[in-house]
Amino acid sequence: MRSFLHNLNQERIVFLLFLAIFVAFSVILPGFLNANNLVLLLQGISVLGILGVGLCVVVIGRGIDLSMVATMALSVAWALQLNIDGMNLYLALAIGLGGAVLVGLANGALIAYAEIPPLFATLASGACVYGFGRLALIHSDLVYVTPAVGDLTLLGQGRFLSIPMPVIVFAVIAVIVGLVLRYTKFGRFTYAVGDNYATARVSGVPVRHVILGQYVLTSTVAFVAGITQAMAVSSMNTRISDTLLIYEVILVVVLGGVGLSGGRGGVRNVIVGTLLIGTFLNGMTILDVQYTTQNAIKALILLIAIIADTLVNPRDEQTAQHGDI
Amino acid sequence: MTRPLLEVKDLTKEYRGIPAIQNVSLTFEAGRVHSILGENGAGKSTLTKMIAGAVHPTRGEILLDGEPIGFSSPGDALRSGIAMVFQETSLVPSLTVAQNLFLGDEKIFNRLRGLYISAQQLLQSLNFPVDPGALVSTLGSAQRQMVEIARAVRKNARMIIFDEPTATLTPEEKQHFFDLLDRLKERGVAIIFISHALEEALAVSDTITVLRDGEHVETDIATNFDRAKIIRDMVGRDLSSQLYDQEGKRRARPYGEKILSVQNLSMGRMVHNTSFSVYAGQITGVFGLIGSGRTESFKVVSGVVKRNFFHGGIINLLGKAIRYRTPSPAVKDGIAYVTEDRKVEGIFETMSIAESIDIGAMAASKHRSWFVNRRKMNENAAHWSKTLSVRSIDNDARVLELSGGNQQKIVIAKALVQNPRIIIFDEPTRGVDVGAIAEIHEVIKDLANQGLAVVVISSYLPEILSISDRILVARQGRVVEEFSAEEADEEKIMYAAVH
Ligand SMILES: Nc1ncnc2c1ncn2[C@@H]1O[C@H](COP(=O)(O)OP(=O)(O)OP(=O)(O)O)[C@@H](O)[C@H]1O
Ligand SMILES: [Mg+2]
Repeated sequence: MRSFLHNLNQERIVFLLFLAIFVAFSVILPGFLNANNLVLLLQGISVLGILGVGLCVVVIGRGIDLSMVATMALSVAWALQLNIDGMNLYLALAIGLGGAVLVGLANGALIAYAEIPPLFATLASGACVYGFGRLALIHSDLVYVTPAVGDLTLLGQGRFLSIPMPVIVFAVIAVIVGLVLRYTKFGRFTYAVGDNYATARVSGVPVRHVILGQYVLTSTVAFVAGITQAMAVSSMNTRISDTLLIYEVILVVVLGGVGLSGGRGGVRNVIVGTLLIGTFLNGMTILDVQYTTQNAIKALILLIAIIADTLVNPRDEQTAQHGDI
Repeated sequence: MTRPLLEVKDLTKEYRGIPAIQNVSLTFEAGRVHSILGENGAGKSTLTKMIAGAVHPTRGEILLDGEPIGFSSPGDALRSGIAMVFQETSLVPSLTVAQNLFLGDEKIFNRLRGLYISAQQLLQSLNFPVDPGALVSTLGSAQRQMVEIARAVRKNARMIIFDEPTATLTPEEKQHFFDLLDRLKERGVAIIFISHALEEALAVSDTITVLRDGEHVETDIATNFDRAKIIRDMVGRDLSSQLYDQEGKRRARPYGEKILSVQNLSMGRMVHNTSFSVYAGQITGVFGLIGSGRTESFKVVSGVVKRNFFHGGIINLLGKAIRYRTPSPAVKDGIAYVTEDRKVEGIFETMSIAESIDIGAMAASKHRSWFVNRRKMNENAAHWSKTLSVRSIDNDARVLELSGGNQQKIVIAKALVQNPRIIIFDEPTRGVDVGAIAEIHEVIKDLANQGLAVVVISSYLPEILSISDRILVARQGRVVEEFSAEEADEEKIMYAAVH
């Protein structure tokens, strides 16, 4: 415990915060600490969590993918549309996934080869994906899941050992991405590129391929998140690209302690961030708090987490960056 | 004796409970140069950073004019007249030299022309050949350093701390720097000087303090010291091996296979039509002043920068023409480049020693393995930490937490682990202590003995002379002269580099 307190960092602070809120809600909110509600809580944050896990890959590589939600919405809507129009389900899904991968490749190419800052590259590509996809690939904003998809709906609505499938998808994606980041060359190179691009390059890391890979991975995860979401609510509303969802995804990533400056954090941080936000949203919903108020409080939480981090970790180490040690 | 300008009492700084500086008490007087010497990791930077407000002491007191002070930031210290010249990093790269010099002074900032004229005057009075209108990002490290010094001078600092200021300077620039120190002294500025070049310290200091393992060993007036005594104090025993001896003169290694041949290479404004070759089994020293294009030529060879698309020249590696657009294929082909600028392109700050070295290993490996080999990673780290005697608080230390010299060793290890055929060291011993210089030179010689083609770029002539079997001299973007170790001497090389 001593060393736990000694090594307080943002991840741990957020985790403690999560525990505190959780306990507080359990005490003051009737109906919070109840198996049904907890399952609901987890289910509610699964898609957000999957997106967060996907996004953290590019954030660790000192990038960002603002097109992620658009990619998720349009690639899945396209696949569903193709299926409605009579294509074999699995072929349609493969094509949708292919579309997502293409967006990832395009993002990666813009950033790694054309050297456009990730913020602008993905802002533009997100708008393109939505605009072009909506015009050319699907007939209406809302694409319904038809009974033709059969058992695939279980991915959104089924349960396994009484755990909702979206939660399981979240867990599986988190484990896969976590392992990739920790134990593969690609993962280590991602950290290297995020920590110091120039050093990675001079050391012989194929930096451009690594960046390409990061964005493809993020887009792929976005597709998985989209399928899970669509199966859960039986439709894909492409308007979701226009919502604040992408900022919520960034929030869970940053909140957990994956620094926007790159090279720091991992999947665990995203999970912690997601849990905090999930608990909080659930409690607010029980309390019947307005959406705008919820947003304001969310922003406050982010601010508190960052300030707490600065206070608990005196900046000695950081000041070391000001010069030769 | 007058009252000291600044005094530290029982100063201690601990990192994770382990002291980097322990109960050090010292006094610093106005108008005197006080050198602080010690091995890599002895605590020199930590001590001076506490004085400059960049690091907070764990225990102990700092007294300015007899009053206890506790600076919360370097800016705070600067307002009290204590400036620290860090190496290269506290400038804003996207601003011009003049803007950097007057950063924070909005009044002058408004009149841009006045800003440049004042900057010009300031730089001229210090004899620094730096264009005030140039962007800092385009400057070399020596010039950045000059801007840092100029800024401290402009702030009328009463005490200026120089942490290894001369490491990046050429001999001529060093002379300017020492003249500058004299002028600062005359103005009554107290100066703290940190350097691994002991001769320099002996020449410029009034007082010398030696630290070892974070503890104070000795403080005395400079004339009571000599090189051998300093080294004895630093390491706690005699170091027999003579640094920068001229053994190369007697036993130059013979030419091996011609590994690299460069013809008519051109790159932007830095390299013009240069031609040279590098042979296996020997050490090729490359000397040149700033702007001679020595670093850039070899950066082209290793793919770090691209040569001109048209009339860029020819590079042959073992008879095969190569043109790298990035370093990655060059590394795979066995060309490793050890950068001179470790902050910018040499280290991964957040990674541990083992992880950093492993990135180098994985980048070079021809195995099609997708996975990290933890065991191999730890073995490599242990092996190289031992070979280069890397010193850190513990094995999980992040590279950022190492002392400057130890960071340099990691940069070298990261390249050596790649098992290159040709290895290019750009200022390999910058910021490294005397003992470690000898060790690194041993490693470099070993590599040549094993048959590697080794290139050592250095602006320190004794280093070039002692280690090279063959010496190339670059001037204004091309290699102009080549000497064998037998015929070379300081005078000839300097003449070739300047004229
Ligand atoms: N931020 C930090 N966290 C942990 N340990 C640190 C930190 N900064 C320095 N140290 C440790 O403190 C010791 C002293 O470091 P310091 O940088 O003062 O050495 P130095 O004398 O300046 O060495 P050099 O000549 O290599 O620059 C080293 O062992 C270093 O690893
Ligand atoms: Mg130091």
